[in-house]
Amino acid sequence: MYDIVIIGSGITGSSIARQLSKYKLRIAVIDKASELPAGASRANSSMIHGGFDDKPGTMKAKFCVPGNKLWHRLKDTLDVHLDECGSYVCAFNDDEVRHLEVLLQQGKANGSPGVEIISGDKMREKEPNVSPGIVAALWSPEAGIINNFEAVNAMIESAQINGAELHLETVATGLITEGGNVRGVSTSKGDFLAPIVINAGGVHSGEIASWAGDTSFRIIPTKGEYFLLDRSTGGTITSFLFSCPSKAGKGVTVLRTAEGNLMAGPTATEQLDPEDRSTTPEGLAEVLKGARRLVPNFPVNMNITTFAGVRANTESGDFEISALKTPRGFVNVAGIKSPGFTSAPAIAEYIAELLQEEFADLATFAPNEKFIPEHRNIPRFLYMDMAGRKALAENDPAYAQIVCRCETVTEGQVLEAIRRGARTVSAVKMMTRAGTGRCQGGFCCPRVAEILSRELGIPLDQITRHGGESRLLVGKTKEFLLKGAV
Amino acid sequence: MSERIDVLIIGAGPAGVAAGIGARREGAERVVVLERDWDLGGILQQCIHPGFGLRTFKEELTGPEYMHRFIQQAHEAGVEFRTNTMVFQIDRENNTVWTMNKERGIEALNPSAIVLTMGCRERPLGAIRIPGTRPAGIYTAGTAQRFVNMEGYMPGKRAVILGSGDIGLIMARRMIWEGASVEGVYEVMSWPGGLRRNIAQCLDDYGIPFHLKTTVTRIHGQDRLEGVTVAQVDDYMTPIAGTERYVECDTLLLAIGLIPENELSRMAGVDIHPVTGGPVVNDLLQTSNPAIFAAGNVVIVYDLVDNVSDEGLIAGANAAKFAAGKITSAMRIPVKGGENVRLYSPQFVTGEADSTIFMRVTHPVETACRVFAVTDDGTELYSQRLRYARPGEMNEVRIKADKVKASPNISNITIDIQPV
Repeated sequence: MYDIVIIGSGITGSSIARQLSKYKLRIAVIDKASELPAGASRANSSMIHGGFDDKPGTMKAKFCVPGNKLWHRLKDTLDVHLDECGSYVCAFNDDEVRHLEVLLQQGKANGSPGVEIISGDKMREKEPNVSPGIVAALWSPEAGIINNFEAVNAMIESAQINGAELHLETVATGLITEGGNVRGVSTSKGDFLAPIVINAGGVHSGEIASWAGDTSFRIIPTKGEYFLLDRSTGGTITSFLFSCPSKAGKGVTVLRTAEGNLMAGPTATEQLDPEDRSTTPEGLAEVLKGARRLVPNFPVNMNITTFAGVRANTESGDFEISALKTPRGFVNVAGIKSPGFTSAPAIAEYIAELLQEEFADLATFAPNEKFIPEHRNIPRFLYMDMAGRKALAENDPAYAQIVCRCETVTEGQVLEAIRRGARTVSAVKMMTRAGTGRCQGGFCCPRVAEILSRELGIPLDQITRHGGESRLLVGKTKEFLLKGAV
Repeated sequence: MSERIDVLIIGAGPAGVAAGIGARREGAERVVVLERDWDLGGILQQCIHPGFGLRTFKEELTGPEYMHRFIQQAHEAGVEFRTNTMVFQIDRENNTVWTMNKERGIEALNPSAIVLTMGCRERPLGAIRIPGTRPAGIYTAGTAQRFVNMEGYMPGKRAVILGSGDIGLIMARRMIWEGASVEGVYEVMSWPGGLRRNIAQCLDDYGIPFHLKTTVTRIHGQDRLEGVTVAQVDDYMTPIAGTERYVECDTLLLAIGLIPENELSRMAGVDIHPVTGGPVVNDLLQTSNPAIFAAGNVVIVYDLVDNVSDEGLIAGANAAKFAAGKITSAMRIPVKGGENVRLYSPQFVTGEADSTIFMRVTHPVETACRVFAVTDDGTELYSQRLRYARPGEMNEVRIKADKVKASPNISNITIDIQPV
């Protein structure tokens, strides 16, 4: 029996869980994924938006600027990389310059600090590799780029430190109600009973809302495809570059990730399947075209991987956040897409207030005096100074053994990720960045799999890439031959 | 102050072990080879098939057997090895080498000379940007080879191989030997990437279909790979509409090229050649940083390990000479590649000793041809007739030191292969 069950442990669900862990509540977060982040929190532009892009009066406008401010604080509290690099919206012609004016006014109305329009030449002083065709740009100094893998894991780990439970590989299958009241969630791992259920189901949030009889909005799964380049390309640009937005989305962006990889994307392709994260020739061609428009010498030959995310667009274009009248206890935090990552901590604060106003009778919101705000990330050997590295290695020799050579990830980090719950090769990747580099796991994947096998006492051929049926290996060599494989 | 080391070698694969031997034979007192793996031999540890050492030992050895002979020689020569030791940083200001090891912790070494022998790595899937999903079951051929030959596990039952680099061809045969099926080898170019003998011995002998000018255009499957779409490509390597075919498989092995591994070289401030991807070197195998030498696949990807060992011996010997103050900086006469030369190394010739320039052609020449080197004043330094020249098989240009010394005014040397 819980007080609150949160469906979905993306940045929205995790942020809400952490915010609610400031109260003495029994909280369960369930997610069908085998590792975090999954879904849209994993595959996105990792942008912390400046807050000029959202129409005043919308939910997006309400949460984006406060969310941005919170992230600038949370980065230290939660020990998450946030590159406070600022962003440019690039205009190539008069029409687009007029659009910059609209964005500037929106930014001012939304309270986005420091937004201004500058000339293309002034922009090129700081970003010499952008197109000479850019005539003007909207500069937003408060925009940043976050390490989204770290952010989601830090958020949920912080919630866990403060008492929340995380249940992975747990698929929500239905809502349990009784007499117009919420009683819990049925899942692949049994029933999770609670009087309050929060739908933070991302691209599935429409379907989950329909379990509560709420069909007032519909999720339009919208795929975004990306290129990710080798870290050696990180000097090409130093900030986040937007194209001028169109009806389809914010257009192709080029950015340098918090880790220093050049990245380009996304497309905005509506599709029926919320789980289709395949890249397409058309999508990748569109991204490349858009990237080269902004950065003519976009070094695509240094590409290390392509990927796609599916975002939860809504017909209204806005977030769908509400507590239903019936069944009572059901809260939608649905349709969270860009600027969803930015908004998440502000949404979480709002949800905590909303629950106390609406459902004070369903749970007791007594402050958790033992709440620990600080979270420490797994040590990042790559970014430490030599004294720090020496101290770490002296204290634990596993930190003097490299597992991932591209990202300089040590065995100590992998062991710590496993201690924190990593069970798949992909989970280790999300938590330590082993396998995110230029060889894309060619070197470290067998080593990570061996460590998982050894530490968890699982045979090597049972280790999966990302859970489910994604086993890396299909059996032992000679056994396999004797069984007659073909 | 850190311990005294005359020659420090980074990587104990075939190039590094040979460099150790070369350095000791040249008289260097303390020669230390660092290896990040727990055992010596580099990638040859997992190359358990025969075919190594035909030139050096005049017999066909497996990878581990070949390495064993060199490692024994190195021990006899007094080379020191440190395994489980990773170099993670080289400071370019003073050539300080930072290492880490579970027992020794983090250490800074200041050798008199360094030899880079880190080898190469395989190009990953992302490098060729194939659209589709990202399921389990996609490996570079070398990773799969490690699973099968070192760990004793099978990556799958039904494989497709993309690219025809040698490791892919070897792994095609290996999968068959282990009872898996190989649906085909697909090569985007109109010629094979690997050695002709491997096409014959690993594909033809097992009836594995080999498709030139064909590539994988899409990956299918959510958790585990379920299949790939393949299509023929035109002369611009663009898939031809209407030729797409679905091939069911649970494993995709990639043999789409090797990249010299030079992150440390870059840190050390060594100039990297844009085409080879390895350090620019002269025939002493000295880089643009005079105290740093380089040999083997870290410089240019070779076909044969015999060449790698030979180059290791040379680099080690010259590093020892440098440590003893017998040679200084000397990038001397530049070598230029002719019309049909895709890449070559070394890029400079000193004339200090006889040397070999290794090169690959851009396009195959299937008729009788000539590989040659000529100076800018018209002196022919080398000429050799060939029956053919193919990008998958390296050619050698041998330069005699006395010929270089005999023409003191030359300002460059051109190498090329042309039909006769």
